[in-house]
Formats: sequence, structure tokens, C-alpha cells
Amino acid sequence: MSHTRRSALAVALGALLAVGGCTVGDDTTDSGSGGGAEITFLTFETPNLTPQYWDAAIKRITDKHTDIRVKKLVAPSADRTGYAKQLLASGQFPDVMLAVSPAEIGAATNLYAWQPGELGEFLEPTGGAIDGKVYQLPTNTQTIPNVYYRKSMFTEAGITAPPTTYAELLDASAKLKAKGHTPFVVGGGKEAFPSVLPLTATVATEVYRQRKDWMDKRRAGDVTFTDPAFVKALSLVRDLSTQGYIDRKMISLDYAATEQAFLKGRGAMYPMGSWFAAAGDKSDIKADIGVFAWPTADGAPLLPAYTGGGLEVSAKSKNLEAAKKFALAFQLDKDNLDNSVRSDALFPAIKGYSPPAGLGPVFTATYELWQKHVAGKSIVKAFSWETGSDSLLPGMTAKVYAATQDVILGKATPEKAAERLDTEWSKAA
Amino acid sequence: MTAQLATRPARAAAPAAVRRRRWSPEKLLHFGVFAAPGLLVYGCFVLLPILVSVGYSLTNYNPFNPDTEFVGLRNYKLLFTDEEFLTSLRVTTVLTVILVVAPNVAGLLIALLLDKKGPFYNAWRAVFFIPVVLSSVVVSVVWTRLLADDGAINQVLGWAGIGSVGWLSEPGIALYSLAWIMAWQMLGFCVVVYLAGLQSVPQELYEAASIDGAGALARFRNVTWPLVAPALTINTVVMLITAFKAYDHIQVITNGGPGTGTTATVAFVVLQTGFTANRQGYASAMALVMLVIIATASALALKLLRRREVEL
Amino acid sequence: MRQALRPLTTLVVGAVFAVPLYVVLANTFKHGPDIAPSPMSPPWPPTLDNLTAVMSRPDRLFWASLANSLIVTSLSVVVLTVLSAMLGHYLARTHSRWARVATLVLLSGLMIPPQVILLPIVRVLQLFDLMTTLQGLILFNVGYYVPFGVFVFAGFVRTIPRELEEAAAIDGAGPVRVFWRVVFPLLRPATASAVIFFGVWIWNDFLNPLIILGPGQGTTVTTGIYRAVGQFQVDFGTMFGLMFLASLPPLVFFLLLQRHFVKGLTGGAAKG
Repeated sequence: MSHTRRSALAVALGALLAVGGCTVGDDTTDSGSGGGAEITFLTFETPNLTPQYWDAAIKRITDKHTDIRVKKLVAPSADRTGYAKQLLASGQFPDVMLAVSPAEIGAATNLYAWQPGELGEFLEPTGGAIDGKVYQLPTNTQTIPNVYYRKSMFTEAGITAPPTTYAELLDASAKLKAKGHTPFVVGGGKEAFPSVLPLTATVATEVYRQRKDWMDKRRAGDVTFTDPAFVKALSLVRDLSTQGYIDRKMISLDYAATEQAFLKGRGAMYPMGSWFAAAGDKSDIKADIGVFAWPTADGAPLLPAYTGGGLEVSAKSKNLEAAKKFALAFQLDKDNLDNSVRSDALFPAIKGYSPPAGLGPVFTATYELWQKHVAGKSIVKAFSWETGSDSLLPGMTAKVYAATQDVILGKATPEKAAERLDTEWSKAA
Repeated sequence: MTAQLATRPARAAAPAAVRRRRWSPEKLLHFGVFAAPGLLVYGCFVLLPILVSVGYSLTNYNPFNPDTEFVGLRNYKLLFTDEEFLTSLRVTTVLTVILVVAPNVAGLLIALLLDKKGPFYNAWRAVFFIPVVLSSVVVSVVWTRLLADDGAINQVLGWAGIGSVGWLSEPGIALYSLAWIMAWQMLGFCVVVYLAGLQSVPQELYEAASIDGAGALARFRNVTWPLVAPALTINTVVMLITAFKAYDHIQVITNGGPGTGTTATVAFVVLQTGFTANRQGYASAMALVMLVIIATASALALKLLRRREVEL
Repeated sequence: MRQALRPLTTLVVGAVFAVPLYVVLANTFKHGPDIAPSPMSPPWPPTLDNLTAVMSRPDRLFWASLANSLIVTSLSVVVLTVLSAMLGHYLARTHSRWARVATLVLLSGLMIPPQVILLPIVRVLQLFDLMTTLQGLILFNVGYYVPFGVFVFAGFVRTIPRELEEAAAIDGAGPVRVFWRVVFPLLRPATASAVIFFGVWIWNDFLNPLIILGPGQGTTVTTGIYRAVGQFQVDFGTMFGLMFLASLPPLVFFLLLQRHFVKGLTGGAAKG
């Protein structure tokens, strides 16, 4: 190749390399005027939380705070904690992030601890605290799980009222199965968390009911997963599967497909967190969806709930003040809260907040169920959903999901699954 | 591609004027322009990380734990009793065996089928090869839909009166479904390689065999089979390495499940341990063991298969 | 009829094999809500709505991903080809012991799974301040695929008579001139197959962009699909539309260069 051609090629390559430096990112919500601070905000998308939802919510805040520019990042799947960890490991930790499990992300070193003075607007300023420090804004309460059900299928099977004792639940399941309906819709797929909902419920009725601080004891090492009560919780889930009340083949359905399965009538009961109410109200069958709490053996009221779920701020953020300002504003903005109620059926735990009017029947029923239990003081924690000092050790949630699946699929006995959890726990400790 | 590594062309007698001292400035420049860049990038981005990995594997490095301490060979010792790792070895072995055998055999059969000239056969050859150029994410998403409990495959089985199967939800089946999907995607590669091998067999050998009275099966055994040995080598080694590297499909289809570790290969567990559980020291040890296994397996396979290859 | 047996079998086997391809094609042009209930039915009437929906997505996911994929792939391929052609030529022509060792070290890189180097590569890239940049991803690609390039090019170079180069050298051309003027044009089949393989592999790469590029710098086509699937699981129409569009570039690339593909794969094998 001649000298001139070679140098031309070199120049071209150099130009290309330089162009490579300015990449084509997503069309981010690059709102706010030039200058000021730029912060990165990690979100995740679900059928409830669309890109438009996030863009609108971010814009509401940047319109009011023009000195802040927000670069929206999106996790490639609903497992935003896993993705945040990956980002941390590769030096790209976002400034603000949503609902990443603080315990799993090394909160003490990586997240900013909110000062009590900054949490004045929150109903539970110590919700989700780890060693007394609050890293995740305790913005929302979610009840996990509620049992959503198809009223028409219940009527068809001759069930006149939602079950109040566990025996009635089994009875109802048998009647539904006799009519050709799959009693429970329990999924799994690549996210795996849809599988754990029945276990969250049985741990609440069998373990937390008697010992509300069981998880704290587990963290201290005073109890183990092979505790008879916990094994019983696993056994109850196993029994649902062996009796054919859970369709094992649905375990391969991921979260979105599981939700679709219920909405398309492929099952009668759907144990899922309260966020489902948003999708329920958007569907054609919203008038046909009822809700009840997973019954205890003797019928005493009980409902698991989790308060937390808000934004966290990176302790190492280059624009810490801007990040904090954005996070608080984002969480306390009334329009954002109203939208989060509408889109994701959250119960904001903010002082003086009440949900907007005109919400659908499924949300209203879910909300009222929660209020009833708050008044009756029958709220307990939601196993595997906790994020504070009372949460599972880092990496354990995935093992718990897998253990539940093992039990449902008959791959392991409840005792063996519990043993494995203890082994994994000691490895992670 | 057979003997390239071993042979060196005979040295032509170089005129005296062309001979140089060993490391003259011209030779250095030659090296610097031709060899250095490639070697440098390879060294920085492949060799260096491997050395770093060795370093990590001797510690308990965890990005969330500020005090990293040297632990010697403890990580390696732990691997021997780690249920998760041992299960992943079993899963990897099953996957590898299926992926080395199935597309290879099927590939040869289909290549024999398509070994004829004409646009019809060329078109079908292209059809078989299309999945190879598709993204593994696309292939994974499509097959997950097809194999879902209400997916097309189960629907067809329903019409046939067989009832649906939990292709991706049954722990005993999921791994085989995964292997099937990966085999489907790579089948075209094997077909094309075999076709090229078949087409390099000289016609005269077939004619000679026919004249000697050999039937189709005998012709295959005595002429075709020995001469496609190079293609067999390529396919086997490529599929071996593909099976070991498998990650994309697992992540997108099953994420290691259903249940504990049913479809988690070593490669998958390495990344989960390193990036999700953040035990990077431990994960590095696992990765190096994986490297040793794959290097040994490839070297063995290459050695055994090369012996069969016949020089034309 | 024995004559018809081969084409008939081909048709049957091929059709069964191609069912998933048909499914993608059919559902891409099918009215969205019709996809879930009848995934196998042919699209009638066909519609382009899915494709337009993808292309006009408000966050421009498709176009941004496409641009990123194009930049990364084309730059990686160009740099890779140049570097490995030169390195391959150098190693094939140099007969010293260190060259043999270097060749061995390089070729052993062929079997290294990316997972082994991904954990520390993050640190190495951070060291050079290249994390989350396209350049970082490109450099990683180059380093990782150089062994294959050397494998292909060195092999072909050995089949080119040295006399050609020596003749040019005697005429006074420097080694660079000799290479680009005399040798490289003869390496066309090797270049073709190398370009094709690098192009397809890097375009379809999922793991490396996921980890090295991160979300801040946009996605490539592959990671973009993975992200969209989470949100679109319900919207099958858009999902298939995205997958179809994302598959077009490598598909077109392959269909245009089919002949070279096969030759490149086994060019050496045919020569023995």
C-alpha cells in the first residue's frame, strides 16, 4: 500500500476511534439547563414500570430543580440488585438507585446513611434500618403476599366466601381442581421470585406469627432454617404441589408471563405482592378479582407486609448533595406518589398522604385489607422481602427462591432444602 | 487446516545481501510495526487478566469487604467440597457430551443429505446456517416461548393427545431442553463444516471404490469417513469450547434454575459467584480450575482426533 | 422413487428445523394480540405495525443500540483484521524459537472462555480508565479475538510462496510495503473469513457489552433485546419486531457473503 493510502487509512482509523469515544447512549431524560450537577439514576422496567413512567417521574423533579441533570440507567432485568452489584464491581455505581437491597450491596460502605433530620416526612423513619442506620428511604408499604382470586371461578366451584382458615383454603383448592381450574398460579422463570410467594405466606403463618423477631434471631445465629416451624412452612408449600394445587409446569414462567397466566384465566388464585393491583385494575377482569389474606390454621388474622422500597443514594457519589436532593424530592413529590400508586399500587408511608381518588376496585380492596390489619395490629414481616438488619444475608435470596422451587418440584425434601439453606448461610456469613 | 501448525516451509536459500544480524534496527522496526501491537493488546487484555486472576484466587477478595487477605490455596481446597461447584461440574459434563455428540452426528447426516449441487440445496444449507448468525439472546427468547407450558410445542402435543410437558420447569428435563436449544443453534455450523469436508473428497476415490464393488455403506466407511476427519476435528473442538463457554442461553432462559443448580454450568457459577455474590477471590479460583479443565480437554481431543486425519 | 428421496427428506428435515425461524417471521408481521393465542398461524393480514412500533420507540432504544453495535463491530473488526494479519504474517515467516513460543501462547488463547478473564478485566480496564467506554470494549474484543485471527492468517500465509516476498524485497521494498502490496491481496479468502467470523461474533456478543459497557453508555443490540424483553413480555408484537430487526444485519451480511464463509472456514482444510 502506498504511503499516501496508508496515511489516509491511519487518519480514517484515528477518526473512527475518536468517534468511538462519543457513544450513542439511550435517549436519556437529559432535562434541566446546562451546568449544575449530573447524577445517574438506576431504574428497572416491568409491565407496571414503563420507560414512560420513569421519564415522566424524573422530569417532574428536574423541572422543579433545574440545577440537577439526571441520566437514567436501566437494569436489563427486574434483578436490579444483581445489576447494581455488577456496576459496583466495575466502578459504575449509580448515584441514585431504586429498591436495591441495601444488605446485599454492602450498605455500610457504599450507601449514604440518611440522617433522622432528613426523614421527617416518613411515617416509619426507621423502617429497614441496618444496625440503626437507614440507607433506603422507607417510602412505601407493600403487603406480600395477598391472595388474589377469580370470583367467578370461586362461585362456579361452589365456594361462597373467601377462606378464613387454612383448612378452608385446602378445601377451596380441592373444589377448584375438581372443576378443572388450576388452584394456584405460581411462576418462577429466570427471575425466580414468583415462586417464593407461597413460602412468604407460610413462613408468616407458621414462624413469624409466634416469633415476630425470628429473622433477627437467625442473623444472630440463635435459630436455623432447620427449625421445625420453618421446615413446616416449606412442607406446606410442598404439599400444595404434591396435591396438584400448584401446577409445576408453570415454574418456568417468568414474572410477566406468570401475571399474564393469571389474567388470562389459567388459574384461580394468585399469591402476589400488592403491586399486582395496578395490573389487575388495568385488565379486563378487574371486577372479577377479589383478594384475601393467606389464612392461618385457626383463622386468626395475619398479613405480611414490608415497608421500605424507596431510593438509595451512593455514599461515593460525586454529587452527593444533588443526589440526596433529587432522591428526597422524587420520593415526596405528590404527583410522583400518586403516579406510583396508580402504576405500581404502592401504599406510600408518607405523613399526611392519602391515595388519590378514582382508583380501581382491586387496589381499593387491597388497600382496605391492609388498613384492616394495621388497625388490628396483625401485620408481620414478609420473609425474603426484608431489606434491613432483619433481612437475609447477601446472596441468600436467590438460594431461598431456588429452595422453594426445589420443594415445589419435588427435587428436595423440606428438610434437605432447609439444611442446604443453612449451609449456604454459613458460607455467606 | 490440519498441518499448518506443525510444518514450516523449506527455507529458500537467501542471498547474502538479505541476511541481517539478529536484532538489527530494521528487524526491531519490523517487529514493532507488525508484531508488537497484536501481542501488546493480547498481553494486556488476555494474559494480564489471567495473571491477575491467579492473584485474586489466592485471596478472599470481595469488593464489599475492605480487608482482603492472602489465603493461599484455601479457595482451591474449598472447591472440592463445594456442592454448588460439584453440581456445576456434572451439569457442564452433561451439556458438553450432548453438544459434542448431537450436532456432530446430526451435522454429518444432514451434510450427506445436502451434498449435491444446485440452488435447492444451497438454499437449505443457508437455512440451516441462519441460526448460527442469530444472536443467542434472540434464539433463547424464541425457544423459551416455544417451550413454555402454554407454548407452541405443548399446544401441538395437546392436539396429538399427549399432554403438555414441563420442558423448562421440570428439573430433570430443563438441562436437556437447554442443550437442545444450543444444539439447534450450532447445528448449521457443523453442517457447513462437514459439507466443505465432503466436497474436498476427490471423486476418483469414490469411483475407484465403486469399481471395486463397494456399496454405499462401504464407500462411506472406507472413503468418506476417514477423509472428513479434519471436519470432525474442527466440529468437535469448536463444540467442546462452546459448551464450556455457555452462558448467554443459561442466563436468558433459566438463570441456572429451575430449583438449585439444575442448569448452572461452571461458567455460569463463576460469574454468579464473582459478580452477584461478589466473592471474587473464590470465583477466580473456580475460573482457573475451569481453564485447566478446558485446556486439558481440548488438548486431548485435538491429539486424539488429529491422529485420525489423513494427509491428502 | 429414489431420485425424489433426497430432496423430499431435505424438505422434511429442513422444514422441521426451520419451525422456530418461521415462528419469528410469522409473528413479526402478525397483529400483536393474535400472537399469544395462535403462535403458529401464518400472518394474515400481514402488518408492519410491530416494526414501526419498535423503530419509533420514544427512548430510541433500537436506533441507539444499532448505532452502538455498528460502531463497536466495525471498529473491532477493522483493527482486528489489520493487527492479526500483520502478526500472523510475522509469526508465520519468523522461524525463531521465541516465535514458536509466541504462537503457542497465542493459540492457547483460542480456548480461554471469557468468564475467566472477565472478573479481572474490569480491574485492568479501570486501570487504563477504559471502563464503560466503547474503546474499552473494542480493545477487549481485539485482544480476545486476535488468536483466532492469527490462526487463520498464519495458516494462509504459509501457503504463499516466500519467493514472492523475497522478490519484492530485492526490488527495494520495505517489509511493510511488501506485506500490504504483495501478501495482503493474496490473503483475500482469509481476510474474508476472518472478517465474517469477527463480525458475527462481535455483533452477537452479549456478555462482554453487558459487563464492560454498562448501562450508562447505552446498549448494544443484544443487550437491548434482553432489556426490552423484560418490559415487553406482554407486548409480543413489539418483542418479535425488535428481534427481527436486530437479526437483520448479521443475516444480510451472511446471505451476501455465503460463499466466502464456507471457503474461509475450511480454506485450509481443503488444502490439507
